[in-house]
Amino acid sequence: MSGAALLLKTISPFAQCRGFRGRMARRQIELFSSGPPSLLYFVAETIVQIRELTKIYAQGEIQVTALDRISLEIAAGEFLALMGPSGSGKSTLLHIIAGVDRPTSGECRVQGVNVTRLNESELADWRNHNVGFIFQTFNLIPVLTAAENVELPLLLTRLGRRERHRQVETALALVGLGDRAKHLPRQLSGGQEQRVAIARALVTDPALIVADEPTGNLDSHSAQEVLAVLQSLRSDAGKTVIMVTHDPKAAAFGTRQIHLEKGELSP
Amino acid sequence: MTISTFVFKNALRNKRRAVLSVSSVAVSLFLLVTLQVALRELTLPPPSAGAELRVAVRNKISLTNPLPARQRGIIERISGVQAVSPFTWFGGRYKNEEGMSFAQFAMDPVELRPLFGEARMSREGYEKFAADRDACVLGKITAEKYHLKVGDAMRLDSTIYPGSLTFHIAGIYSGTPDDRNMFFRQDYLDESIGTPGYVGMWWLKVKTADDMAPVIKAVNAAFQNTSAEVRAESERNFQLGFISMLGNVKKLIASISTVVVFTLVLVSASTMSMAVRERFRELAVLKALGFRRRELFAFILAESFGLAAAGGLLGIGGAYAIFTFGDVGKMTQGIFVSFEVTPRIMGLAALVAAVLGIVSALAPALSVARMSVVNGLKTLD
Repeated sequence: MSGAALLLKTISPFAQCRGFRGRMARRQIELFSSGPPSLLYFVAETIVQIRELTKIYAQGEIQVTALDRISLEIAAGEFLALMGPSGSGKSTLLHIIAGVDRPTSGECRVQGVNVTRLNESELADWRNHNVGFIFQTFNLIPVLTAAENVELPLLLTRLGRRERHRQVETALALVGLGDRAKHLPRQLSGGQEQRVAIARALVTDPALIVADEPTGNLDSHSAQEVLAVLQSLRSDAGKTVIMVTHDPKAAAFGTRQIHLEKGELSP
Repeated sequence: MTISTFVFKNALRNKRRAVLSVSSVAVSLFLLVTLQVALRELTLPPPSAGAELRVAVRNKISLTNPLPARQRGIIERISGVQAVSPFTWFGGRYKNEEGMSFAQFAMDPVELRPLFGEARMSREGYEKFAADRDACVLGKITAEKYHLKVGDAMRLDSTIYPGSLTFHIAGIYSGTPDDRNMFFRQDYLDESIGTPGYVGMWWLKVKTADDMAPVIKAVNAAFQNTSAEVRAESERNFQLGFISMLGNVKKLIASISTVVVFTLVLVSASTMSMAVRERFRELAVLKALGFRRRELFAFILAESFGLAAAGGLLGIGGAYAIFTFGDVGKMTQGIFVSFEVTPRIMGLAALVAAVLGIVSALAPALSVARMSVVNGLKTLD
């Protein structure tokens, strides 16, 4: 079965759904059915397509260009390392791809959906189903156990309690923390906390994982563990991983490295 | 985990603050309920059985002006009147106390029973009261307060008449809405002060409810254009007229209640804002994970509402328990004999708690709604 056929088979049941997920599935089927062969290829192979993306921050009367007409394609299953000095615009690019920020101009399509056109509510729904977030400072809720933290994104789904628990167990097992489900974040090491955050990013089975300096707060051993997990997400689970990092050693785990300099892609 | 578990854990993440917030709401609502009940008790004295047949007659000029005793015969002859008794305020102090914790009235001992039939007292008590010139009957609350019993002597120093009078307790009554008063004989007062011929007021009882209006009209007419014109009115109206003199007290209580509620809103809103501000980055993470504005608003509202409801439950429930099962007479040193926490007052306090929960959540919820994920996440670093 080709990748396109597999995707078609995957999204077809969602076409019956109401709301954003249904609309998105119907739109994708429409693309498959009526689009030209090149479009079919795009849907199957390119997960992120960015065209002429510009982001300008206004700070009083001063305007700062964070991203300057960037065009980029990211293939499904890639582990992309976004590198560059502070203020180069790499986090801004990551935020726009992940649908938590909006560009000043340009287009950003993820899985064929132009995320810049979605309204707040649609974007929230889209993020829940399609993007997994990993942050530098882990950002776990301190009063919730590891399992409860991982379960958080599933509270927005219609899954029953038993199904949610099953998925949480799977996600924690994937990051090697099946035995720490009942632990509070303060009872875990930094590396373990970050692995819980990875499990939280994984639990909804999103196609895209975005990680903003995921090893920035970790010692080298824990950083290696986390990077290995991210690498296996790409190689074993077929996830697309986009990681922002300063560290060339961390970037070396990626399948491709991109450098940003003053808001522009550098060769 | 469920959404409610999540909200509950968040609400209790800073236990000390949660306890203090709930306590402040509880204490404030307890105070609000107390003030409202006090206001109700002051403005709506408990209806007395038989009050619908009683008429109070006072000097038209003012309550402090006496009436001539000769009026009694004229009143007794008015059709529909069943019983008439003088009712003279003595203003006595017992045991040199600063204030007067119970009222004393001089009256006709024979008419006590026909007038205040709802009072429960032994037959011997009535008989002794009618037989002994210095006898008095005392309300149960006052008797218990001063550990007095039948046969004991009481000496009262009048603040109106010269000198003091000593009484012997003939009986102790109960069963009236206010079992504190003391009644003694008008003839004993007249003889003691040496200037008989005047009474403070007249208290009458009419035969039927239908007689009330004609009797009042007839009494007023009987003394029109005399040297002592009277104002007759039902006992209920007399009480309400008395209460209307408490106008400023009502305003004061209403003002304090308003200040209590307003302060409560400020404190709660500040607490909720602080609690949310501390979690701004977490809320930004929740937004990134896919939680929408309305869901975050619901979390904040539920947390705020929960804290207000817990405080409300404690404050209102505590007030109900204390004032229903406690001895209000003792607690208020006899100022209030009943202190009923009515469903209406509890409902009002619950409404205040609910509004408080909602209003406190508004400002933090709005700031979270306006917050962008990126800006929220920046507070991480």
